[in-house]
Amino acid sequence: MINSVFAAGVLEDTIRAFFQGLPIGAGFALVAMSFVLTYKTSGVFNLAFGAQAFISAATYFELHVRRDWPIWSAVLVAVVLVAPVLGLLLERLIFRHVHAASAVAKLVISLGLLVALPELFKLVVDYNREQPFGAVGIIPDGTTVYRLFGRYPVTRDEIAAFVIVVAAALALAALFRYTRLGLRIRAVVQSPRMTELNGVNADWVSSGSWMLSSFFAGLAGVLLVPITSSLGTVLEPTGYFPIVISALAAAALGRLVSLPAALFGGLALGIVTTQMRTHVPRDNVILAELQGPALPYVMLFAIIVFWPAIRRQVAGADPLLGVSPPPPALAATSRSRGMTIYTRIMALAFFAAVGIFTFGYANNFWISRITHSVIFSIIFLSIVVFTGLGGQIALCQVTFAAIGAFGAMQFAQRWDISVIVGMLAGAAIAAAVGALLSIPVMRLGGIWLAIATLAFALFFHDVLVKYSWVGGSLFHGRGVPRPEFFGVDFSSRENFLILCSAILLVVGVLVILIRESSTGMALRALRGSETAAESIGVISWRSRVIVFSVSAGIAAIGGGLLAMEERLVGYEANFDPQTGLFWLVIVVVLGARTVEGGIQAGVAFVIFPELVLHRWLGLDGAWRFVLFGFAAISFARHPEGLLEHGKRRSQAMMQRMFARRQPAMAVASAQPEVDTSADRGDEP
Amino acid sequence: MSLLVADGITKRFAGITALEDVSIALEEGERVGLIGPNGAGKTTLFNCLLGLLRPDAGSVAFDGQDITRLPVYRRARLGIGRTFQRVELFSGSSVRDHLLFAHRIRSGTGALWKDVVGLGLPKPAEIERCDALLASLGLGGMGDEPIEALSLGQSRLVEVARALMTQPRVVLLDEPSSGLDRAETTALAETLARIQSEQGFGLLLVEHDVELVASFTERTYVLDFGRLITHGPTPEVMRDDEVRAAYLGDFVAGTT
Repeated sequence: MINSVFAAGVLEDTIRAFFQGLPIGAGFALVAMSFVLTYKTSGVFNLAFGAQAFISAATYFELHVRRDWPIWSAVLVAVVLVAPVLGLLLERLIFRHVHAASAVAKLVISLGLLVALPELFKLVVDYNREQPFGAVGIIPDGTTVYRLFGRYPVTRDEIAAFVIVVAAALALAALFRYTRLGLRIRAVVQSPRMTELNGVNADWVSSGSWMLSSFFAGLAGVLLVPITSSLGTVLEPTGYFPIVISALAAAALGRLVSLPAALFGGLALGIVTTQMRTHVPRDNVILAELQGPALPYVMLFAIIVFWPAIRRQVAGADPLLGVSPPPPALAATSRSRGMTIYTRIMALAFFAAVGIFTFGYANNFWISRITHSVIFSIIFLSIVVFTGLGGQIALCQVTFAAIGAFGAMQFAQRWDISVIVGMLAGAAIAAAVGALLSIPVMRLGGIWLAIATLAFALFFHDVLVKYSWVGGSLFHGRGVPRPEFFGVDFSSRENFLILCSAILLVVGVLVILIRESSTGMALRALRGSETAAESIGVISWRSRVIVFSVSAGIAAIGGGLLAMEERLVGYEANFDPQTGLFWLVIVVVLGARTVEGGIQAGVAFVIFPELVLHRWLGLDGAWRFVLFGFAAISFARHPEGLLEHGKRRSQAMMQRMFARRQPAMAVASAQPEVDTSADRGDEP
Repeated sequence: MSLLVADGITKRFAGITALEDVSIALEEGERVGLIGPNGAGKTTLFNCLLGLLRPDAGSVAFDGQDITRLPVYRRARLGIGRTFQRVELFSGSSVRDHLLFAHRIRSGTGALWKDVVGLGLPKPAEIERCDALLASLGLGGMGDEPIEALSLGQSRLVEVARALMTQPRVVLLDEPSSGLDRAETTALAETLARIQSEQGFGLLLVEHDVELVASFTERTYVLDFGRLITHGPTPEVMRDDEVRAAYLGDFVAGTT
């Protein structure tokens, strides 16, 4: 008797969780279908959908809640107007022009947009996320509760979300099956060139699918506001991360190419989410995490690692792939000798000037800024190692930096061990975590690697940091002392700056040695052509695991130094995953291929918002996200970075001027023009 | 004991049998051709030998060792080099870098600690070796050129040089003549023949171009519809009626 009552209760809970899961899953499914649509039609893995969903939701919120527009007009503007126009603009202005770029380059562009778009929106609209009376859905009286079968409570918002998504999916299916546009989209997916030969404008089809997918993302953004408050504050750009991650998991189930898989995967993951919340006991810490914030990341990671379909993915089955012109020539990584000498002289002059300024004239504020620049240069060298050398994108360097910072803190607080030892231990831990994390995903590479590392960064942020053995306890605080060793006290600003500079020098030399030696050679081979590299015996995953580990260690050293400089672990201010995205963007924009590029990015990261934006131009510091975010578009053409590109151009120009003046000498010193090949992409 | 042996290879794709019970063998230092019309299964067999495809039945052995289940890089390390039909080079690297990379992988001095203490930098002797091989292939003085600056014929030679730097015991050439005109093909064949007789590695030439195979190989295997229709000394194979009918077609059969 008791048993049957219990069983009935479990059954009832299960059914209730099922009905609660459907609308959440519907939201996942919408975003997942957006991913699939753009990935299929333009090869862009558009992480910026999170930003697009945010913009629609925030527009709706701004218009309806803050400016008292009626619901229908706010929805019309936010979803039917803003979202498709945004998609159209992205396709026309950006993605159409990088059609031939690699998947990784396109991913970098979408990351730049993910950083830039929400900040641009906030700056332009003067958006204020403080909500006067809570977010409101798009259905009047959305919180009205109905009871299905007289028993299971569902709100009007939830019913509406589910119905709208199912209707949208059906409409999409009908579009593909019965309309000319659908037929053309399917054809373009198979082979854009073949389709064009049949007289269809593939660009137009691509625009259409971008508008459609952006519309879906916007719809999802607006629908999810009332339902998923438990998944994060949706009206913040970062609030969309958990949803985007779940949607990615759903899209991954269909290898990013199957719309039905995205739909049913999304619904299934929504149901799994609520079932876990209902049935998994809360008495165990790990199980309790699995019910809440950890779930999307664990699901995504598990799908990427264990879902067999992903391993079978083959790129580019377009039968006319071979006839398309090769992508524009990219810059050669090798510099001419003159360029190297020029760079070294400039670097010496720069460091001498900074040194004289620092120890002669600078006040405490500027010394602290310069120390920050040095430390961020170290951190950014980790991106130079993995992205510049390895040609892969990892989005969790910020997490490794945090591990270094917390390592220094924990060792000093718990055992009173030198922070330097703690920092090095943190680096070792980060390297080990990096190796462990990368072994299952490194074989996949490319987009999957980026997604998995993003999932890890968010997992650390939402779950691990809360534990006292990671993020420290409230009781102790997050204080970190400055080091003292071999009888030298590095606690003064100047001495600590000298220590950081010495470490930067060591790390810089290390990176150059790795780049020029066997490991670097294997990586350059892999970046050039993975197939060919394997044909001469390069073990791709092993090289990448090694270099990922090294890169994690470098990031952790930088993170530890940053904590010492600030005398505490400023986790929220420095090591947020969103910040990590910006790190990657600024490094690839300025030059991920060279040590010099990493240092320039470090200096720009610290000095640019302070000096250029704030003091000189009187602008909000948030403009840096917008500027560098949009500058990431240049990565498709100039993977060597904008500064390096500019330098090569100026050097080539000087050479030409020199050659005109002294033709005889120029002939004598005629060299293979490495640099001009970099510029070929510029001319139409 | 033959150097490279494929024994009873069968491979099916979604119900279509691309290869059925195909066996070939290659001796040390031998030049062997593999020909057949489009769709005969040449590339499938090639990929099975290299480890890019796993056969449904049959085995591949190299120097007496079963390598059927080894990944590509393990086979490369055992001494199987290859070139590509669509040239696969390391974009962004110089010509010499291609050879240097291959040499480093082969010599196995790739430990991270050596790199970190500065022992991993290219040594003058290594650079000399690369330049010597480039010179013998007629690419002398081009070591510093960016790889993008080379013509297709030169690129193919760099591929050969890269494969040779791994000190292979057998090199598999995948349609080296594709994209080259007659004169370029002849030049490539001459260089290949010379370097092969100098260094004595085995060569398996998968080719479309019958003339190249006829002039260049000692033995030839002929595939048609996934089956081995004949094999033997190249001149005999070229006279075989079945080969003419299946591959060379009535046109050639009629002219002789």
